[in-house]
Amino acid sequence: MTTLVHQSEISSPAPVPQRSLITKLNIVTGIIVGAIFCWGTYYSLRAGRDMTNEHNINKVLIISMFMWCLGFMIGIGALIGPFRWLIGKDLTPEEELYMSGEGQGMKRYFKFCTDHKVVGIQYLVAVMVLLGAGGTMAMMIRTNLATPGSHLVLPKIYNSLVGLHGITMIIAMIIVLTGPLGNFILPMMIGARGEAFPRLNATSFWLLFTAIPVLCSAWFLGGIPTGWSAYAPLSTQAGPGMNAFLVAIIIFAISTAVAGTNITTTVITMRAKGMRFNRVPVFVIGCTISVALAVPAFPTFMAAMVQTGMDRTISTGFYDAHLGGSGWLYANLFWIMGHPEVYVILLPGVAALLEILPVFTRKPLFSFPMAVAGMAGIAGMSALVWAHHMYMSGWMPALNGPFMVTTEFISFPTGLLFLVFVGTLWRSRPWLKFPMLCVYAMLWNLLIGGITGVYVSDVPLDGTLHGSMFVTAHFHYTIMGAALSGAVGAIAYWFPKLSGRMLNERASYISFWFVQIGLNVLFMGMFLVGAEGQPRRVASYAEQFAGGNFISTLGAYAVGVGMLVFLWAIIHSARRGDIAPANPWGAKTLEWTVPYPAPIENFSEDPIVTSDPYGFGKRVSK
Amino acid sequence: MAFDDSGDLKPTPGQRLRSFVQRKDVAQTIVLGILITAFFVILGLYGYPNWMPKVHSKEMHSARLIMTIFTVLSAPIAGFVLSIAVRAFLNMHRGDNPPPDQEVSEKSNTPAILVWCFTTGAFVVAAIAIGLLAYNSDTNSAVADAPNALTVDVTGSQWVWSFYYPAQNIQTHTLELPTGQPVIFNVKSVDVNHSFWPVQLGIKVDANRLVTTTADARPTVLGPIDIRCAELCGLNHAFMETSGAVVTVNDFNNWVNSVKATGGTEQ
Repeated sequence: MTTLVHQSEISSPAPVPQRSLITKLNIVTGIIVGAIFCWGTYYSLRAGRDMTNEHNINKVLIISMFMWCLGFMIGIGALIGPFRWLIGKDLTPEEELYMSGEGQGMKRYFKFCTDHKVVGIQYLVAVMVLLGAGGTMAMMIRTNLATPGSHLVLPKIYNSLVGLHGITMIIAMIIVLTGPLGNFILPMMIGARGEAFPRLNATSFWLLFTAIPVLCSAWFLGGIPTGWSAYAPLSTQAGPGMNAFLVAIIIFAISTAVAGTNITTTVITMRAKGMRFNRVPVFVIGCTISVALAVPAFPTFMAAMVQTGMDRTISTGFYDAHLGGSGWLYANLFWIMGHPEVYVILLPGVAALLEILPVFTRKPLFSFPMAVAGMAGIAGMSALVWAHHMYMSGWMPALNGPFMVTTEFISFPTGLLFLVFVGTLWRSRPWLKFPMLCVYAMLWNLLIGGITGVYVSDVPLDGTLHGSMFVTAHFHYTIMGAALSGAVGAIAYWFPKLSGRMLNERASYISFWFVQIGLNVLFMGMFLVGAEGQPRRVASYAEQFAGGNFISTLGAYAVGVGMLVFLWAIIHSARRGDIAPANPWGAKTLEWTVPYPAPIENFSEDPIVTSDPYGFGKRVSK
Repeated sequence: MAFDDSGDLKPTPGQRLRSFVQRKDVAQTIVLGILITAFFVILGLYGYPNWMPKVHSKEMHSARLIMTIFTVLSAPIAGFVLSIAVRAFLNMHRGDNPPPDQEVSEKSNTPAILVWCFTTGAFVVAAIAIGLLAYNSDTNSAVADAPNALTVDVTGSQWVWSFYYPAQNIQTHTLELPTGQPVIFNVKSVDVNHSFWPVQLGIKVDANRLVTTTADARPTVLGPIDIRCAELCGLNHAFMETSGAVVTVNDFNNWVNSVKATGGTEQ
């Protein structure tokens, strides 16, 4: 890729706007104002209400949690801009510059900062915290399942662990790449100076931040008994912890919609001159398709949660058969989001590895159009397959056949992605580096997840596999085995750009083998017990499943060790790793032309793109 | 006869194919592909059938057969993908510096894309056809067998399964079924969602609150049945299970009579 890039000079410290409220607001003021709003609302609403009535408890808790979110956003300064507009003024240039975090060092990571690179790092830390929390819960689940009849945790705690592990991991995996790299790297890859809506971008992160303590509060409110799918009517009858779940989902859905709109608009409107759509890096395309898919998908989950909240507070009866409602309404709304969400998670990881592959094989990406067609085809088809999760629900058996057709047809665009991988690998001599190993891990895991996906999409076969550990293993092969391998590979690949240092190779390799061997042992064990007849989400199981579960638990521990090693590698390398060269992998995409640390607007002069980013390989005659 | 630009005789497609497969890397890839394909075929033929529950019904038999067919069908695709990946892995470049750019002639290959699309498309069509045929067969059997079927009303409540046999007028907590007679389950819940799963029968259907759903099975082989709940239904979901059996018609009648002798409710 030919570009014009002029390195920017080191800028002098930005002027601090005098007597501006913006300079005084940060995460601490956000938490204080949020807590005041929350507790103030809680105690004022309690007064004069019968707090033995569960509807009143739900009302007070839900409103208090939303007030925490509102208070925090006010306290951190997210609403200063909109407020100024309301009174006919906008922020001054000094305030805008201050809000971009220029010259503020570490402090900018704790503020409402509009620099996309800061937001990217904020997302990265949030993802690591969420994955750590979700992973810890997974370890507790697997430890409880190591032996049949284990009483390490009570069934109530176990059910909450299952639900909160699920939703924590889903949230983490949805943002695992589009959050950190979609913000930090993506604008650089398209030659943009920033993002289309910088304030909305910061808003999306801090909304996510406010959802985390709300979700955690579920533990202190009695947990959630429903799993992350939160099926009604169990969710409408559940205790106060369910309120935390639904408020967290609503906030997260808003955050995702805001982030998705921002990234999509950025890619459509802010590409460098000459970057036609067939020159857009495939990672950018994957991220854009992913977030664009999330924008229409998540509002249905939000709607499902709003209705759950209404059933819980004012007895609307959306899901209550006694009042003319139906649990199938919830199931439909949930899965209309739920299946596209799998691809929202998967596509950025696969696209990142497609981006990595030509760099490490030193060959052009095989059939770029097929890569785009595969991702677009998956995204398009994913909107038409949701009811395969409901074959056994009893809802519209006449639709089982059509949904089996659409679901199995999604194997076709998925196959196009495999074609691009093997076409690029064909007769290649790949460079044995950690990101390249992740390509291999993803290929194996997605193959297993994909083939077993064909099993569970078949109605007669789903009669025995649905709701079993087999489905859990299939899902985890796809989400953890494929998407997380893609995310880990991507973070390792762009780590020099994020931190200016190289990721510790030895620790990465150790982590890789622990995680990959561990997860295959873990989920192969689950396949065995699931095929044999063990239901999922059970705190205890029959003696006949003991062997497979014990093997799975050993695998889980290996994954845990590997993940801890990777976490150590990231933290240690970010602080003490070898200084990275400007372009350690010899890649041809634009982000590697930006110096580290990146200037506030990335490029001092707008780049001009004259070729595609995968111009590797020596041309030879046939 | 065709000649190339230098005036030499152009190789025929057969000659080109022979020289292609005789290349060392291609031959290695083919051998790897055959080995990996064989692994998945063996997994389909001998792995899954041994891991899945015993066959006590036509539906379970169908499920195991489909599992085997899908695994065997997908084996060549898995073999193709993994053989190329493994061959490249064995040829890895090591070192701290990037390898030199590889020799490539093109960024795409239309015949290869068409062959791949045709192959995977054929797999998808085959999978859909097998699924639809099996599903259609099950649905047709259900309609045809309905007049002779034994009806069992299944009720899920936190965390107990109850069975009511309307024709026999008995209420039980275990499920006994006569072999050879189709059975229709009318399933509902009185509280939250459950999922009725008689494991060895190879069927499943959700028990929805105050709504009746149906499932049907054709028990064919004598033996015990494990009945579990496959939908998270609250605190003791893991313990919502009971037992049952496919028995001979005589044994079934004797069991019905013994339940009736205790007032129509199983003790």
